[in-house]
Amino acid sequence: MELTSDQLSVLAGGRGPYLARALRWIVEWGDVMGAKRLVRCTNTHALMPVANTLARGASAATLAQQAEELREACQHPTAPGCLCTVHTLFLTMDPLDVPQNDPVQIEVQRGIAELATRSGFLPTFTCAPYLTGNVPLKGEVCAWTESSAVVYANSILGARTTRHGTESAMAASLLGLVPEFGVLLDENRKGTLRVEVTAALTCPSDWGALGYVAGAAAGLGIPVFHGTPRPSQDDAKQLCAALATGGGVTMCHIAGVTPEAPTLADAFHGDVPSEALQFTPETLRQAYLSLRNHTGDEIDTVILGCPHASIQEIAEIAALLRGRHVADGVALWVNTARPTRALAESMGIAQQIAAAGGRVLCDTCPTNMRIPARRLVTHGFKQAHYSRGMIGAEVIVARTAACVRAALAGKWCGDE
Amino acid sequence: MPEITVIRGRRIAGGAAEGEALVADAMLSFWGEVDPVKGTVIAVGHPLEGCALRGKVLVIRSTKGSSATPMVLGLCKLENNAPAAFVNVEADCLAALGCIVHGVPMVADLDQDPFALIRTGDFIRVNADEGTVEITRRG
Repeated sequence: MELTSDQLSVLAGGRGPYLARALRWIVEWGDVMGAKRLVRCTNTHALMPVANTLARGASAATLAQQAEELREACQHPTAPGCLCTVHTLFLTMDPLDVPQNDPVQIEVQRGIAELATRSGFLPTFTCAPYLTGNVPLKGEVCAWTESSAVVYANSILGARTTRHGTESAMAASLLGLVPEFGVLLDENRKGTLRVEVTAALTCPSDWGALGYVAGAAAGLGIPVFHGTPRPSQDDAKQLCAALATGGGVTMCHIAGVTPEAPTLADAFHGDVPSEALQFTPETLRQAYLSLRNHTGDEIDTVILGCPHASIQEIAEIAALLRGRHVADGVALWVNTARPTRALAESMGIAQQIAAAGGRVLCDTCPTNMRIPARRLVTHGFKQAHYSRGMIGAEVIVARTAACVRAALAGKWCGDE
Repeated sequence: MPEITVIRGRRIAGGAAEGEALVADAMLSFWGEVDPVKGTVIAVGHPLEGCALRGKVLVIRSTKGSSATPMVLGLCKLENNAPAAFVNVEADCLAALGCIVHGVPMVADLDQDPFALIRTGDFIRVNADEGTVEITRRG
């Protein structure tokens, strides 16, 4: 990779050992990923995780070392070097007693969140930064963590970010630089898999089903959807989250909808493959069944807002709950970002959810907090996929209305 | 003398390591599909579900999924549960980042199909600097 004299000076330690190490990481990373240079990056979304591992037997040294790395980054004189929103935490900043979280871990994570805020990182604590004001423009070079948000930024907004880990996103936020490889370059934004959609997509979870199937088929490639209706923001959110769960997708195109795909031919840079994956009504049905491993109908948990709920979703959930109450023994979680909850509170709909026995959770999600569940219902394919292993729950993925019906009844009542 | 096969690939993260192969023609996310404290694959229905990663040479198609994959690899390393090396068909940028930052040798873009040549339990020597993967058949 060709470096400027300024960049060589940073590598040599001219701006201190921390930046030298951060730059060495992203130069080495860029070199193996095919970058020829570093380019300016103006927008980052970084993970500052203190994962809930202590309570599960991890050593205190592991926590200390991870926390020290994050403190060093947050306290660096150049932090944040460019706009940086902060990803979800592994706890909520609200008072909430969760016995599964170790108190030391909680204290360390809170401390880092507060330190980051004082240093100028934006405390959005969300997996959907595009719903809380971080909306990069078409062509803007970003460094985002959160696989679902990366797909959203590239595909729906036309911004440009490779999939970042916390290490590279923090480096990018301090240096304002990223290696130019992958989808940062025009030629790597060309579709690789054609998906013909004949199933009717009627709600966000249906789009999640499409993403889950297409992501697994696309692997690290770029799926192109043809034949779909125009998605809503919530539809697009579910699609992007599921694409990055089923596979390792960085972006997709929706022919006739997304900014770089006015037509199917544009999405493939003129080279449309004749073969296509067919997403039929039967594929849609099977996608839901693939994330239902329940052995009975009694449920104890319903999780909505994966990725974090938009204000429209919260309004829909509140309307479905109005005048009713969640069944005894069922925890109903509605995960969202703090600014979105503030809006929901100003509208009175957060209170309606609370009055119905639900809980609007900010900054995190129950799975990140490792709140146990025996059998859970969720509208998020990402949530369903990961919670099976992460908290050992049986899962049922379903449309929002069916999830709320299950919460009210205390048992899975079917799709209709 | 046991038969030794060598396949060649591209250095993604430098260094050398050896260990038993853990092989699946599949993708894997470290966040959400690997428990860094238990050191095992927790992805339900994954071909490696339940397998321990410590000291293994991880032969998979690529990583996928969560962008916290490098972070979880770092936690695995701190908990002494990391694979010894990665041998991947494709270099996913998240595995590459994790291996570079956390010091796990990684080779990808192989000149032969590793799933045809390597079985779980084979003894593997990876020299990422040289781009070589040396396979000694076991059992």
